[in-house]
Amino acid sequence: MIDDIRVGALIAASSIKRGNKKTLIFIVFVLSLIFMNLVFLPSMIGGMTVLFTGFMQDYPYGDIVIEPTGDNTYINNADNVLQKVRAVEGVRAATKRLDVGASVEHKQKVVGVTVTGVLPTEEYEISRYPYIIKEGDFLGELSRDEIIIGSIISGTSTSFGEIYDDLGEARVGSLVDVTYSNGVKRTYKVKGIMEATFELVDLNAMVHYKEIEEVYGLDVGEATSVVVRIDEAGTEEQMKVKIREAGVNEQVFTWADKSEALIRQAMQSLGAIDVMSKFVGLIVGAALILIIIYINILNRKKEIGILKAIGITPGSIVLSYAFLSMFYVSLGIFAGMVLYLSLMIYFQANPVIFYETMKIRPQIDPMLLIQSIVTMLTLSVIAGTLPAWSVSKESILKAIWGR
Amino acid sequence: MIRVKDLKRYYGSGATTVRALNGVSFEIRKGEFVAIMGASGSGKTTLLRILALLDDATGGEYTIRGLKVSRLPEAERSYYRLTQVGYVFQDYALINEMTAAENVYILSMMEGKSKKESYRTALEALDKVGLKDKHDRVPDELSGGEKQRVAIARAIAKKPDIMFADEPCANLDTINSEQVLEVFKDLNDNYGQTIVMVTHEPWHVKYVDRVITFKDGVVVGDEWVEEQ
Repeated sequence: MIDDIRVGALIAASSIKRGNKKTLIFIVFVLSLIFMNLVFLPSMIGGMTVLFTGFMQDYPYGDIVIEPTGDNTYINNADNVLQKVRAVEGVRAATKRLDVGASVEHKQKVVGVTVTGVLPTEEYEISRYPYIIKEGDFLGELSRDEIIIGSIISGTSTSFGEIYDDLGEARVGSLVDVTYSNGVKRTYKVKGIMEATFELVDLNAMVHYKEIEEVYGLDVGEATSVVVRIDEAGTEEQMKVKIREAGVNEQVFTWADKSEALIRQAMQSLGAIDVMSKFVGLIVGAALILIIIYINILNRKKEIGILKAIGITPGSIVLSYAFLSMFYVSLGIFAGMVLYLSLMIYFQANPVIFYETMKIRPQIDPMLLIQSIVTMLTLSVIAGTLPAWSVSKESILKAIWGR
Repeated sequence: MIRVKDLKRYYGSGATTVRALNGVSFEIRKGEFVAIMGASGSGKTTLLRILALLDDATGGEYTIRGLKVSRLPEAERSYYRLTQVGYVFQDYALINEMTAAENVYILSMMEGKSKKESYRTALEALDKVGLKDKHDRVPDELSGGEKQRVAIARAIAKKPDIMFADEPCANLDTINSEQVLEVFKDLNDNYGQTIVMVTHEPWHVKYVDRVITFKDGVVVGDEWVEEQ
């Protein structure tokens, strides 16, 4: 066996060293495209998933969201819940929010919105709301007669402008009338216009938490949700358990739980596309690798016959082609990685625009890369071994002289 | 050394059967340099391929040093080809991506020798055919005669019991043919190498000890060549 390996390595090495370089470059180029085919689309889909889920984390749900139990509209002891949550190790920040339905009116134009009552200073640690103000400023602690409206509502959204109703000329400084779901009407000055290019945000409005409390006559400490951010991404499930163990009896969800419910269909579609693309990529990749190596081996059929005729064992011959195709595929993977990473860098700087608004940056998934590399190397061994084994089983006369 | 008894090789079946060898019997002793001659299609190459274990006989049997090699399983036939039989092809059959030395020492490596020892053996063999100084050339950098001498070096490096050569000068001009035949003659005279060579050139007879003539798959002549 050791002799087979040594001789196989010698045959492969001399073939690499003195073989046709143009053929080698062509094979490596095609293999690099096969690798790209395996990893690029899943990376784009990964980027799309991250974009959707990122929105969920950055705006409505944080990493973990706590909501009222059963049919209750409010968490009655939100301050107590906050206290318990903040004491849990691994929690970075937490805040409470109040979401209510309302209509906003400006110069006879009316749109229906969700108004979220927030504690402005706490939001800096929790969400990206304070950072997406495209005109004006975010709310302050004293902003009791002020409102932040989404760019779609204001009519300044360049992305969704033609899809939704808007207030037309509402800008920073404009006065808008808000009629809450309980019929209470308040007038606010627009302090800022926020834009996340995400409908769930850009169709919303935001006022101070105290304002909603007052409008609805709520007791201190009532909230529709408590939003939590944690120190370490990926530990949401463990943190959810910790929060429950800390004595929080409300419903605790991770952002993924909520996202799944909200955009389940979209995620399932993306997941299905992802699985199909990987499957198709794998089939196409396997077929191409087999074809490339098989053609390469057919061109060397006579050489295989000669090697057999002079006494080289079929084992050595098969091993030499396994080594050769592993070398081709390794170079292909390397070239594919260079190509892939170059494209990743390019798309980080120039994201793909989806639905005119969403900037999709492909995600580099190390597990996907490892899987693809292992898959291609495994395929290379099979692709190198099978045809060489089949040719080495042919009679010497047929291999050398074709009869 | 070689005993062939009623050897047959048929191709096809029924009315279209081609009888390439139709009951051939002869013996070759150690140290002989034998030429197998005959017209094209007389069965001489078929015989050589069967003796070198590249093809199977339809019937009859043959032994090399008493061993019925025709009945060996493939793995042992492969080992036999590697260690006991040298074969020189008409078209050299060198591996184009290997140097002259690599073409020769790959067999020693297959036998389990170290790379260093294999390389030394290869240089010795190349020296015997006068190509030691071209050990690092690939076949494309060698003339036809030189390629054939590398093929001979490959065949003799393992010191085989018997060496078969299938029209080794068919693709060579007279000068290169003479060089190749001189190498064979030298190996036979000075190293006692048993050689069976297929040829249809009458002038090659002066280099050999014995001529077996074939016609239509049977032996029609078996003569010793008188030394000139």
